[in-house]
Amino acid sequence: MTAQFTHLDLLESESIHIFREAAAQFRKPVLLYSIGKDSTVLLHLARKAFWPGKLPFPILHVNTTWKFKEMIAFRDHWVKEFDLDLIEMTNHDAIAKGVNPYDYAPSIYTDIMKTVPLKAGLDQYGFDGAFGGARRDEEASRAKERVFSFRAEGHRWDPRRQRPEMWRLLNGRLGAGETARIFPLSNWTERDIWRYIMREKLDVVPLYMAKERPTIERNGQILMYDDDRFPLKPGEKPVMRSVRFRTLGCWPLTAGVESTATTLEEVVAETLGARTSERSGRLIDHDQVGAMEKKKQEGYF
Amino acid sequence: MTAQTALKESNVTPLVKPAADALASAAPELSGLLRVLTCGSVDDGKSTLIGRLLWDATDLFDDQRATLERGRKVDGGHPDFSLLMDGLVAEREQGITIDIAWRYFDTKTRRLVVIDSPGHEQYTRNMASGASHADVAIMLIDARHGIKTQTRRHAAILDLVGLKRVILAVNKMDLVDWSESRFRQIEHDFRTLMWRFGFREAVAIPVAAVSGDNVAERSKHMSWYKGPSLLEHLEEIPSRGTEPVGAFRMPVQTVLRDTRADFRGLAGTISSGTVRIGDTVLDPVSRRTAKVQRIATMDRDYEEAIQGQAVAIQLDTDLDVSRGSVLAAPEAAPVVARTLEARFVWLSEVPFDKRGSYLVRTATDLVPVTNIEIKSLLDLDSLAVHPATACKVNDIAIANLALGRATAIDRFAEAQETGSFMLVDAISGATIAGGTVTAASPDIQQQDNVFLLTRAMLARGLCSDVANTPEGEAEFRRRSNEVALLLRSAGVAVEVESLPDYVI
Repeated sequence: MTAQFTHLDLLESESIHIFREAAAQFRKPVLLYSIGKDSTVLLHLARKAFWPGKLPFPILHVNTTWKFKEMIAFRDHWVKEFDLDLIEMTNHDAIAKGVNPYDYAPSIYTDIMKTVPLKAGLDQYGFDGAFGGARRDEEASRAKERVFSFRAEGHRWDPRRQRPEMWRLLNGRLGAGETARIFPLSNWTERDIWRYIMREKLDVVPLYMAKERPTIERNGQILMYDDDRFPLKPGEKPVMRSVRFRTLGCWPLTAGVESTATTLEEVVAETLGARTSERSGRLIDHDQVGAMEKKKQEGYF
Repeated sequence: MTAQTALKESNVTPLVKPAADALASAAPELSGLLRVLTCGSVDDGKSTLIGRLLWDATDLFDDQRATLERGRKVDGGHPDFSLLMDGLVAEREQGITIDIAWRYFDTKTRRLVVIDSPGHEQYTRNMASGASHADVAIMLIDARHGIKTQTRRHAAILDLVGLKRVILAVNKMDLVDWSESRFRQIEHDFRTLMWRFGFREAVAIPVAAVSGDNVAERSKHMSWYKGPSLLEHLEEIPSRGTEPVGAFRMPVQTVLRDTRADFRGLAGTISSGTVRIGDTVLDPVSRRTAKVQRIATMDRDYEEAIQGQAVAIQLDTDLDVSRGSVLAAPEAAPVVARTLEARFVWLSEVPFDKRGSYLVRTATDLVPVTNIEIKSLLDLDSLAVHPATACKVNDIAIANLALGRATAIDRFAEAQETGSFMLVDAISGATIAGGTVTAASPDIQQQDNVFLLTRAMLARGLCSDVANTPEGEAEFRRRSNEVALLLRSAGVAVEVESLPDYVI
């Protein structure tokens, strides 16, 4: 049969191409896995790219210890199922010193608990290329991101060092001290991710689906009470609400939306109907003007 | 209004669960994807035109619509559509050297990817890199001013990187009283200009971006115009991936194995043409052929695969091909080239250095360059070619390249993906230029005092630990390339001996 390509077929082929190209060009790549829906798609495409072989690289998860419990359970399940080589990085020093998402500003917390251990992991294992699930449609500063994005020594993103990309050609040759981030989902949108998850019948963390969950409402945002580390203010107590999450991160910093969408189909229908951008539920992006741009320059993914 | 639109406008939390078919219409797989490059200056109303198109025809988020509504009103009380794209312009003022912004929108039937690149003269390289990703370009001009040098310049760049479809949007028709004769004059000038390029399709459309005339909807002011609106035209253009052209090519990216199932798949993306089970394919470098036994993916096997598909091909006999090879149709094979004649856009701020160490990155091969001889530069304003020996940023050069090792390559006019390359700085890894092959030859360029790096020389020491396998051969090549580069940077012209059984 001659395939009539849908736009998802085209995106899938392009991503597989990027995976194969990067795996061939980089000496020691790693896949950054964050357990969310984009990571789910990223991992699925990586498996397709190297089928019937095993993934030719490990996956790395930065665990802040504040991830939703259901995320960790989901991660461990699929690591076993797909026989993945998982590396977990946690900033234990910072935890011992009492760093937490309540007493620290989101930008500082993110830097200490995510960026620092991420960089440490890349350095410790000598990874020269790291796959990430970032998309150009996520945020204005990502709209100009390359598929192969280069980082100078210390993992700093320097706009001036970014290489032009032409046709389907990808140049992954590294200069001294350079490493690269590789974004196979560059041309996907949030809708594509959902459509693809449905088409491929992929499992996602149940947090994406609405369920009665213990929640606290603060500053107009609905936060989940995932364990008793949540410091309640006087008068606050967890209320059961039917909520789901559009993005998953650390539960104290990830706001949910009230919803009755309990199946993937309903979630997708709601999401495609939603008219505000996905990251509006992420507190770290509201922290300061140009937040993402700045985080990126400091080495955040 | 479609169900999709109706759903968008409903509450975020629907009280009634959507039926399965409502979901299917809310989340259809779009039947196509089109990448659209926009070129023209802000003065011509580029931001307004694209903003208007997105406003009328796509799925903008509510906050984007609100931003526009809040913006200052322009002529006739219309929102300022340019705010949609101008947000990106501000983003760009950060000293970023080469920048293309990507935006994604869905019409009812397809994904539109809008590639926005600055259109000023000094941005040749931006436009060239942006255009290399596009399926169609919208060139925008002001109806009052007509075709200008800039239009010609843009067309030359689009043609250079292989774009086949262009649209001339003749904007601000309201300011020339919707004059048919004015439009026809511009259309005539446009056709005269276009014939000298290799475009497959060049269409002129009269528009008024601010009022939306002929943008999504046909204009009520220009009944003399019987052609499609801009949107109608964009929806008619064949989608990316639906036009397999040329002879079969698949650059091999990697070899995938499953020892239990005796599977050895050559993995890659078909870069042109189609391939079927039973087809004879050629490895041009070894000149050996084999039959396609299986076209496999994780989901299913295919009888036939076409341009754009990422697959793994199993052959009936083991050709020992590995990464860097190009599987090809035997009756129309690529050239196993040692010398290239090419046109390239110089992308780097660092000018051409006669003694620099360069590599050519083709679809999946990386080959050391032993000599580059700049012959001339293309003047984009006059389209004349002037003799030259130097080359710097934004120049378009015509040059001869001598390769340190033979590689399979096509003429760009015949196969774009296997006929284009990047010039890479061997030391910094930076991308220096983007090139298209105009001629390729197996002949070795005459040079004095060329040092021949033989396989025996490499095998006795440096590569003594390399296994005699396809992976080993790849490693052997990698090391010989590095040695060649070191010698070359010391001023020694080097050639690397090919495999003994390679017939060149």
